[in-house]
Amino acid sequence: MDDKYEILKPYILLLPALIVLIVLFLGGLVSAIAQSLGYFPLIGLEEFTLNYFVEVLTDAQFLAALRFSIYISLLSSLLSVILGVFLAYQLLKLADDNSFISAIYKLPIIVPYLAATLMVFLIFSQSGILSRILYNLNIIDNMNLFPKMVFDNNGIGIILTYFWKQLPFVTLVVLTVLKNINTSWEEVASNLGANGWQIFWNIYFPISLPSISSAFVIIFAFSFGAYEVPYLLGPTFPRALPVLAFQRYNSLDLSQRPYAMVIAVTLAAISFVLMLIYKKLIKISKL
Amino acid sequence: MSQRNSEKITKIIQNHKLRRFLLYSIILIMILPLLYLLIWSFARRWPWPYLLPEEFSLDSWRYFFNPSSGALAALSLSFFISLAVTFLALCISIPAGKALGLYNFKGKKIINSLVLAPIIIPPLAVTMGIHINFIRLGLAGRVIGVILVHLIPTIPYSIKILTDVFAVLGDKIEEQARVLGANSWQRFFYITLPLIKSGILSAGTMVFIVSFSQYFLTFLMGGGRVVTFPMILFPLIETGNRPLAAVYSWVFILAALAFTIIIERIFKNKELSKEYLQL
Repeated sequence: MDDKYEILKPYILLLPALIVLIVLFLGGLVSAIAQSLGYFPLIGLEEFTLNYFVEVLTDAQFLAALRFSIYISLLSSLLSVILGVFLAYQLLKLADDNSFISAIYKLPIIVPYLAATLMVFLIFSQSGILSRILYNLNIIDNMNLFPKMVFDNNGIGIILTYFWKQLPFVTLVVLTVLKNINTSWEEVASNLGANGWQIFWNIYFPISLPSISSAFVIIFAFSFGAYEVPYLLGPTFPRALPVLAFQRYNSLDLSQRPYAMVIAVTLAAISFVLMLIYKKLIKISKL
Repeated sequence: MSQRNSEKITKIIQNHKLRRFLLYSIILIMILPLLYLLIWSFARRWPWPYLLPEEFSLDSWRYFFNPSSGALAALSLSFFISLAVTFLALCISIPAGKALGLYNFKGKKIINSLVLAPIIIPPLAVTMGIHINFIRLGLAGRVIGVILVHLIPTIPYSIKILTDVFAVLGDKIEEQARVLGANSWQRFFYITLPLIKSGILSAGTMVFIVSFSQYFLTFLMGGGRVVTFPMILFPLIETGNRPLAAVYSWVFILAALAFTIIIERIFKNKELSKEYLQL
């Protein structure tokens, strides 16, 4: 009797979590996939078909959105990771008197994305503070001469928002790992004549690589699937994938629903593949 | 030899100065936007290309505190929803974290992946899929429906944090209490709970912040009828009402910050840490 309970115990403990994950998360995913395959009984669609996929995946607007989303997420995540690792390393080296700095740099983590979006708009739009400063320095005499960085086709405003929010996150994750690395290795390397760069590349970087890459995957996936920032700061064309998906979803014409779901499922599929690649890489690095 | 040493020292000092300069400039980039946002919240007229507002005023702040704007009601609803989500997420995650952190069992790998999947697979896609079912069940457009969908992006973090905490803790102490005759509730409240307190704190804060800043899931599931704080901030940014959006954003940031600090202050009190030492 007791034995049986011991075997079942972890499953009983996991039950509430599994109910939420299976019913809400997997249930939502399966429902999205079913609708993307044309199963939408509400308007009389009951046959599974790949037609919606074919139509959407060959649609120029969709392909532009896909490119745009990948470009934004990739660039903002790369910037955040590279500078985040750099900042974490510098913070580690400043170890003695950094209590103020280490409290301050984390601030953007708790700033909601909407507030960050507003700040980027107030700073980088053509009537923003940067353009005002340039005017007062007599560099431009008209706000239209300021480069378009918000609602622009290059998504600069979106990338800056993600960068500002995610840089401290990467720094925090990487710094936590760096702090736990044995400093005697560095001393040995330095006694053997290694310089700062060599120490960083050969000791700190390889050890923190798994957390660097998981931070990258997390922020990439987030930016890839987020709606509000590209909606508020992005151009009307191309739109980001989540914006396009919701535009179709919100259409009064319910027959648009399967198209919206195809976009949503594509988003999920690309993120899923990214996770698989990441897991493979982790496995290889452990060998 | 000594010359080489002094060269080395100058280099270290230069490095240190450069490092400081870089760090402070990066920190500045993090902080200045917040101050600039604060100035905007007091602006009445601030046309281009003025560097400071032509006219300052408290109008936007007054509007915010005026009950007719609905801002405070939205803020309280946001607090209520996020606290409920935090409570539910913790109730789910503490046992789950214990199972994943302490035991080995069949299917653990799959469950681990399932737990982390919502971090990678966009909740937007999942929620769009499940929306129709929530409508059918009468959960859409209601606070309870919003609370439920907020669990999707939040529990991966709380389960992960608590799993790590339990893995570090091990089950030796609880085992000891069992041998000494404590029943399972006693073991949980007097042994486990105090030991995992810091894990609960970080998991709870994380869940709260993620739920508190959620826009899209609330918008979709609430269908405009569950008016949380982001619901009223979003249109202000969209329409470009800068002073008012700045006020709302500042309150939003302050609320999140205050919650984090208060939680840390309340629960890191000495009484509990004394108890911890007695163990």
